[in-house]
Amino acid sequence: MAERADDRLVRLLGIVAYLDGAGPVGVDELARQFRVTAERIRQDIDALWVSGTPGYMPDDLIDFDAYSLEEGVVSLTQSRGLTRPLRLGTREAVALVAALRAMHTTPAVQADAERAAVVASALDKLTAATGEAANAVDVRLGGQGDARVLGTLTQAVSAGRRVRLRYVDAADVTSERDVDPVRLVTQDDATYLVGWCYRAEGRRTFRVDRVLDATLTPDPVRAHDLDGDVDIFAQVAADAGQSARVAVLRLASAARWVAEEVPVESVTDLPDGSFEVRLRVTNPAWLRRLLLTNAPDVLAVGPPDVAADVAGAARDALAAYADVPGLG
Amino acid sequence: MAGDDAAGGPPTRPDERLLNLVIALVNTSAAMTKQQVRSGVHGYDGAPSTEAFERMFERDKDTLRALGVPIVTVEGSGHSEDVGYRIDNEAYALPPVDLTPAELGVVALAAQLWSDKTLRTDMSRAMTKLAAAGAADAAGDAVAGLTPRLRAAGDAYGPLLEAVSERRVATFRYRAANTGQVRTRTVEPWRIAARGGGWYVVGHDRDRDATRVFRLSRIDGRVRVGAEAGAFTIPDRVDVDAALGAGVGSERTAVLAVVPERAPALRARAVQTDGPVPRAPQGRDVVTVPFRSLTAQADEVAGYGVAVLVLAPDELRAEVRRRLTAAAALDGGAHGTAGRDG
Repeated sequence: MAERADDRLVRLLGIVAYLDGAGPVGVDELARQFRVTAERIRQDIDALWVSGTPGYMPDDLIDFDAYSLEEGVVSLTQSRGLTRPLRLGTREAVALVAALRAMHTTPAVQADAERAAVVASALDKLTAATGEAANAVDVRLGGQGDARVLGTLTQAVSAGRRVRLRYVDAADVTSERDVDPVRLVTQDDATYLVGWCYRAEGRRTFRVDRVLDATLTPDPVRAHDLDGDVDIFAQVAADAGQSARVAVLRLASAARWVAEEVPVESVTDLPDGSFEVRLRVTNPAWLRRLLLTNAPDVLAVGPPDVAADVAGAARDALAAYADVPGLG
Repeated sequence: MAGDDAAGGPPTRPDERLLNLVIALVNTSAAMTKQQVRSGVHGYDGAPSTEAFERMFERDKDTLRALGVPIVTVEGSGHSEDVGYRIDNEAYALPPVDLTPAELGVVALAAQLWSDKTLRTDMSRAMTKLAAAGAADAAGDAVAGLTPRLRAAGDAYGPLLEAVSERRVATFRYRAANTGQVRTRTVEPWRIAARGGGWYVVGHDRDRDATRVFRLSRIDGRVRVGAEAGAFTIPDRVDVDAALGAGVGSERTAVLAVVPERAPALRARAVQTDGPVPRAPQGRDVVTVPFRSLTAQADEVAGYGVAVLVLAPDELRAEVRRRLTAAAALDGGAHGTAGRDG
């Protein structure tokens, strides 16, 4: 895939400034520092080698020690004035500082004083380096959540201890479960616990505001073969089972996030700006909730029995309002 | 990626042309005129016409400024009337940041927050610059087991950020929440904010002559950014939560009528109220819960369907009914409309 010109430029400038400060560095180490492959680094060196000041005679060019490079070590011998790291652009400073501020306010960070202190010091240093511009964006994450439950879960994740949860699921059914916690994910205004559930014998995701009670057990977590860095919405559907029918939703552009956050099988953009997603109905209660919640942006639902299910649920609710004096 | 249509030899890649421009402008003793750039800097010599060169050079200057490269304009003097360009070497450099590995781990984790591709790009570039400044290996221990994520802001974010940063007026078509009417709004934007899963812009609405909050998802089409920079001043203190007012931010309580045994997650958040509690409709319990985000609370209640009804406030009930009314029509109104307006 072609890399954007501005992304590569920032790395090319960055490599020279880094080498100027750090001295000779192995190709692999340089690749790790800039989070790219060693092959990319070698292409970057080749590009830098032929760049310089107008005239472009040998003495005008950025230069490396060719002998070291054969040995896999990048040694800068001429930097052509690119010795200092480039400052952050406004957009970059904003994205960085707003993300850190948002993180600082998450309940999962606030629940642990040591954690909050590290986030605060990173934020202070970057705010000092970026200045006023970074105020343009103000993000708050997290919302409600029982501080006591969150405190227990945070402690369980960092200590690697099993927890016992009393949990109410999307279908409004309450259960008790022993869970080996893996990760706390804050997404928009909700926090989720990802872990290994002994009752389900598999990976499960729990909304923290649906955890009615959490107790730390003395048992250490066991090793489970699971990826903690999950997409919450993908997980919700994957958790519910395998054999599932396909539903097709046509959504207004405002509901674009559904295509991004729900595990859809395909997304088709339509000429009028709306789009169609196909997804597996692993959990009918979950889909009904998704549709009720987002109905104003849902333009069509298929197959007909899925549409009838959610429309029926909505009509029941509207009828119930009609029956309450003063509300109908 | 498009090449530069050089008459002879392979076209220079845009990134390599930009690199040579930066090196030239960092090293120039006074400043370089456009003509000197065109004839001297590698990558511009291939431009087939003066117009093509001008376009290329303007675009490249914009690209470099967006990346934080401080290109300054120098008025022509003495021998030449032509404007010259150079890079301000004092402003170029990132001040020392000196992040500890634990702090860098926090920054790396924060980078995962954004869902928008453009914001992820901004963030990854920032990480590259921190790496260039010598930031050491990140240590994730301090934030082990945490992942923050935020819903995408959408296309309005880019132009609005430009408008806030450069204090330019923003104009856009906006769908009002209560009437659904779309009107053009002219706004001096102060802050972009995310609360409770929603993105907002807070600013001075020129037509209303008052502080207003706009939800980004209700902006219809493109945001146009005014030509004049520094067109207004942003107040020293912008209280986003106060501006969002009762809609988001400040805590209110919802009085709900819940079917027995249902919605224990809601019940777990229940609070005692001082005032008189409304009488429960038959076969339901009255449950009072605090909330901050009207949207998030309406989403949650609507998701329960018939099991949870809103007794108060009216605004929350209206939001829930809006969802239910839309949902009731999803089977093509096969059963007529059971819900009555009122």
